[in-house]
Amino acid sequence: MSHSSNSATNDPRQPSAAKPFKPPLVSPQDLPVDYSGFIAVVFGVAGVMFRYKLSSWIAIIFCAQSLANMRNMENDLKQISMAMMFAIMGLVTNYFGPTRPAPAK
Amino acid sequence: MAKPPIASPLSPLIRSLSLLLFLSLLLINLYSFESLADSHFEGFDADEEDESFDSLEFSDLRSPPLTQSESHPPPSPPSAHSEPERVPTPDPNPIRDSDLPTPSQDPLKPSSTSFDFWDEDEFEGLPVVEQPADPIEVPQDAAGPINPSPDLKPASKDKPTPRSYTVEIACVSFLVMFGINFFTGKRENENIALAWATKFATKDSIFEKNFSLLGVGEGDDSPLLLKEGQNVFKFYASGRRFCQGLLATMELKSRHDLISRMYNLIVPCRDEITFEVYMNDDAMDHVIFAVAKKKAAKGMQKEVRDLQRFAGMLSPPGGRKWVADELAVISESKEVAGDLITEAVLDQVLGDKVFEKFGKGFISMHFSDQHSAAHKKVLLFKFALPDAKHMADMTRLVALIPYYIDLVGRYKLSSQARTKTEAARSKAFQEAYKELHNARQEAIQKKKAEKKRMSEETEAKLSAESLRKKEAKERARQMKKAMPKMKMTRAH
Repeated sequence: MSHSSNSATNDPRQPSAAKPFKPPLVSPQDLPVDYSGFIAVVFGVAGVMFRYKLSSWIAIIFCAQSLANMRNMENDLKQISMAMMFAIMGLVTNYFGPTRPAPAK
Repeated sequence: MAKPPIASPLSPLIRSLSLLLFLSLLLINLYSFESLADSHFEGFDADEEDESFDSLEFSDLRSPPLTQSESHPPPSPPSAHSEPERVPTPDPNPIRDSDLPTPSQDPLKPSSTSFDFWDEDEFEGLPVVEQPADPIEVPQDAAGPINPSPDLKPASKDKPTPRSYTVEIACVSFLVMFGINFFTGKRENENIALAWATKFATKDSIFEKNFSLLGVGEGDDSPLLLKEGQNVFKFYASGRRFCQGLLATMELKSRHDLISRMYNLIVPCRDEITFEVYMNDDAMDHVIFAVAKKKAAKGMQKEVRDLQRFAGMLSPPGGRKWVADELAVISESKEVAGDLITEAVLDQVLGDKVFEKFGKGFISMHFSDQHSAAHKKVLLFKFALPDAKHMADMTRLVALIPYYIDLVGRYKLSSQARTKTEAARSKAFQEAYKELHNARQEAIQKKKAEKKRMSEETEAKLSAESLRKKEAKERARQMKKAMPKMKMTRAH
């Protein structure tokens, strides 16, 4: 089963047939869906709209996950940057913005 | 500024209303300033600022009566040695008894404070303040100076409650852990990939002896591995007989991602390596064949297109050695399966005795001349990767690759089997052609329908006048056609 014989007659190598590596062109549609980026956007928007601190924090965590798993730079970065913007905006409005009036008891 | 010629009788009313409006605005402004100072910048926890009003029930809007309930003993008269009582300063806006609803007043009318806090039209159905049933007179000497307006804010609310930072601490600590795990996990994955490359792709290794070009670059010092993601590494080799090249893809666990790592504790997964060998067109005969674990084989048969169309599960043949019981064979014909599962393979990896020891990393192998990707003739091998310290455990599995490249490259079907496979392929080709033709026809029909719809729309848009003109022209043309043709001859 071994093909380690280096004799000229039995050498399987053919330098003339060698073809350099060309990375296959993958269209953005064929790339796996970035679920964490999508979840980050959803939580980020929720954090800004409903003024939930926890939602903004979760968005930041999912942004970190999306960044960690990023494969296609220019394609994924749009979604991640958008999610990050929403998350940071949510945190800023929650911590430094005017407080919400408490609901009457 | 000139005086208005006619003095309006409503001017005093307007003046008093504007004063009232100004006062209310001032109050609101003061209140909002207080709430801003008092609140703790927290979405739903800033209840303290409203509790001054929440704690204030409507019964508190009047000055307390000079009564005391029976249960409490009357306070002892102040003695000389006792501390002087601290008298709270009276409220600048005391709520007078005149403001309280009297029996003569409308009982549904809410009590209004001196600063008109409640709008009578806006707030309806407020509770009516009732006097206590049996008031007991308190002696004047016993009671100290009465505070006309009690302190509205309870003493417990004077100190702001300490704010909870649980959410922030939890999230920040998780992010810190995520960051630490990212770097440690990344290094772990890189170590596994490098351990594999060191074992199988460096000097005097199996791939170096079988391929003239190793690595993803073009030069001699090109990198062996291409890092596609934090957990995906690729290795390329080319320059060998019977094949154009080999691409190995290592898909490791997402060790760099803490969330995935936690998920993998519940749903375990393995590090995998997939080898794709792109065969030369003239080097591979009509071969469709696969070996996998029984459960995976059933899935492959259903999902993989070429196996679904051309191949079927094979039962183990009697009277000869066969693959281990855990494995299943899918093939186009028994002949192909019998020729490709050789004694050497059974003795080295896939046989009953050795599979337990050397084949534990085996997942599947799939050979096809009808592959649905860019390359039609492909050999696919899928193995589980051991950890970095035990890379030698998969030596026999990796040795299957060059062995099968040569075996499939040299393999020729018998004429009988070839006839069968050719018939199956021509049938499949016809079906594919029919599908393509139908799709084209459908597209043409769609185009026609679209054109028709567009022309109908434009026709509908045409005005009645132009339509009439068009019809007249058409009629004239028809009449011209219908008229008999006359021959004119010139008389000499």
